[in-house]
Amino acid sequence: MSDKTRDIVITIMFVVLINLFFFANLLKKDTEISVTERRKLAQLPNLTLKTVLDGTFRNRFEQYTTDQMIKREEFRKLKSAAEIYLFGKKDHHAVYRYQDSIIKMEYPLNEKSVLYISKKINEIQKNYLKDMKCYYAIVPDKNYFTKEQEYLRLDYEKLQQIMAQNIEQVEYINIFDCLQLEDYYLTDIHWRQENLQKVVDKISNKMGFQNRLTIPYEKEEIIEFDGVYAKEIPFIMKKDKISILTNDILKNAKVYHYENGKETKIYDKQKIDSNDKYDIYLSGNTPLITITNPHAQTQKELLVFRDSFASSLIPLFTEAYSKITLVDIRYMRSKDIEKYIELKDQEVLFLYSTLVINQSNVLK
Amino acid sequence: MLFSSISFLYYFLPCVLTIYFITPTKYKNSILLLSSLLFYFYGEPIYILVMLGAIVSAYIHGILIQKYPKYNKIFLLSSISISLIALSLFKYSDFFIESINDILNTNMKPLNLVLPIGISFYTFQILSYVIDVYKGNVKAQKSLINLATYIALFPQLIAGPIVRYIDIEKELTKRKHSYKTFSEGISRFCIGISKKVLIANALGELCQYFLQTNNKSVIFYWIYGVAFSLQIYFDFSAYSDMAIGLGKIFGFHFLENFNYPYISKSITEFWRRWHISLGAWFKDYVYIPLGGNRVSKKKLVRNILIVWMLTGLWHGANWTFVLWGVLFGILLIIEKLFLKQLLEKIPKLFQHIYVLWVIIISFIIFNANSVKEAIVQIIGLFGGNGEPIINQETLYYLKNYFVILIIAGFGATPFLKNIMTKLKEKIKIKKIINVLQPVILASLLLLVTAYLVDSSYNPFLYFRF
Repeated sequence: MSDKTRDIVITIMFVVLINLFFFANLLKKDTEISVTERRKLAQLPNLTLKTVLDGTFRNRFEQYTTDQMIKREEFRKLKSAAEIYLFGKKDHHAVYRYQDSIIKMEYPLNEKSVLYISKKINEIQKNYLKDMKCYYAIVPDKNYFTKEQEYLRLDYEKLQQIMAQNIEQVEYINIFDCLQLEDYYLTDIHWRQENLQKVVDKISNKMGFQNRLTIPYEKEEIIEFDGVYAKEIPFIMKKDKISILTNDILKNAKVYHYENGKETKIYDKQKIDSNDKYDIYLSGNTPLITITNPHAQTQKELLVFRDSFASSLIPLFTEAYSKITLVDIRYMRSKDIEKYIELKDQEVLFLYSTLVINQSNVLK
Repeated sequence: MLFSSISFLYYFLPCVLTIYFITPTKYKNSILLLSSLLFYFYGEPIYILVMLGAIVSAYIHGILIQKYPKYNKIFLLSSISISLIALSLFKYSDFFIESINDILNTNMKPLNLVLPIGISFYTFQILSYVIDVYKGNVKAQKSLINLATYIALFPQLIAGPIVRYIDIEKELTKRKHSYKTFSEGISRFCIGISKKVLIANALGELCQYFLQTNNKSVIFYWIYGVAFSLQIYFDFSAYSDMAIGLGKIFGFHFLENFNYPYISKSITEFWRRWHISLGAWFKDYVYIPLGGNRVSKKKLVRNILIVWMLTGLWHGANWTFVLWGVLFGILLIIEKLFLKQLLEKIPKLFQHIYVLWVIIISFIIFNANSVKEAIVQIIGLFGGNGEPIINQETLYYLKNYFVILIIAGFGATPFLKNIMTKLKEKIKIKKIINVLQPVILASLLLLVTAYLVDSSYNPFLYFRF
């Protein structure tokens, strides 16, 4: 190719490319949400003199043009592939592949955050749960199982140590040794309900309700799915399968949602169509719910302060209690629990993952 | 508006290029001016008035200087004063107030004025224009539109290079557009934006990890020093590449601003290769008027220190920048007096090591928020903060950014350019390169777009100046 032809080709290529994207962006209908990023995408901002002068139009327009770029998902995939294959990065947006699993790095240990949740647990225990028997357990995130120290991970020993040193009147149940990487989904942060028997045994044993769990479960496979991290890195991953453990007790139990006054089953199969299939368990994140067991052989109640990991674990405790109340203080103020919950002689479990413990400023 | 943004690449640029090239020649400057004002207004909707005031002031003063030779000194001083007062007010007032408060233990309130984007660059362009008119090097521009186009020209408005009026005076009224200049401009722009988005931003992320972690190690301090030195080079030279490229697209030929500074064998050479337009500006408008080299040793030392203190201050209103400038001033004096002759006697490798070592230290000072922070980081380089030699975190980030560091290291040398020049000497290979060039440029542009769509770190370091 001669220099002259090259110059013409480069000129045409560039002009066509930028105009193609310009017109394609203009004609493209704006997208509302990004399924892979699980967030709302920016929409065209209002153009007023005020928004222009105070800079908000510019900031929002910049976000809008980035969020609404045509073929955005394909471009995101191209970037993650370039990061891993071209630039040899070990992670992309802190997400990496380890064995067959996709893991998000949680690092470094935020000691202030660990102290904050410890104080929060103390505060709740002292103010509302004084005469109740209280326990706490920590759910390790998937990084805990990357033993080779190839990636950065929390100092889990220190995390447990800080909590042990600062939490008073609440007994620790260590479930770290009940779990391994295979007990978690490949492409999601959560654990698999069908692999939690050791965790159930450990907690029920320590809290003294093991003998009230008598009826075995049947495993039912629900659907294949891609977890939250499946699209973050450019590897073709095996699909995850979501399964539920059920029996007559769980089938007949009723779940009441305080947020909208609705009653559902423990496994909300309507959530099969949602972006987050894990929401099948107790309908996903919600501030306050109760599980009522009409066939309970006991009057005992359980109160659980929790994050999303509890959604798949706690249903397995249903048989042992007449009522289980699950409180998520990421979505409601801990000050308000007395308004909604009749506090008497419940047994209490604080169940939090290391992910929430390390970013506990979300707790209200 | 950043050049490295979707809004610039796929909204602003296609519109401006289309309108510009379908507009008759005599209105092209008006289109460029309007685009440049829109470009600036988008980022600085209020402070555009400051720039417009500066343009009008430069225009009137230029004409007055030329028209009334008897009073031209007064008009020159008036123009310089207005420009420097505006620059001092916005850029240095709080620095002076806080410094006085620290020294005299007073409690004056800072003005908290926001620094208008690009004020340091356009002020220096205006100064070069009025001084050159005063010296008779150029004629005063009679067209306000042409002068405003020169000062506000969006490719170089906010982060340079500092284009002197004398260098584009002719092109303001008569310039050629061709496929050759257009494609050269595109190539330069694409390389610039790739340097910025693919390399400088990645190095910036690495520097951020270093600055945020509490688990530093001696090796991590060195990685940071190297990474930041490479980041600032790729960031700033990328902006100059984009500016020069865009200039070419519109028919302007801006002078080069960088010439592989990290291959220098002395600090004197480094400053001939780094931010060439700023160095040349200070040389022509400060150093030479002070007497330059042709003075006594005492005055030479004074002249160099004044120029480098001002160079430091130009970069920012902070004592770290003054220290950074003075450090270079002292090194240049030492080199001029005896070190350069000594350096020439030692092997080249040691000359390079000396320069790179000074550069790393200087950019650590440059990027520090305070003199204290700079000292802690420099001590850290030598293990003086009690940190381990290496730790797991350092190792992880070193592995993670190893490829980028290697690419950046090679990219900062003329290695690739020299290979390409040699290959192009063979006609057959040149033809193959000509076929590959559009493919590579399009691929780079798409890859850059992918990074912009999914970006988290994209600041321009030189926007603050």
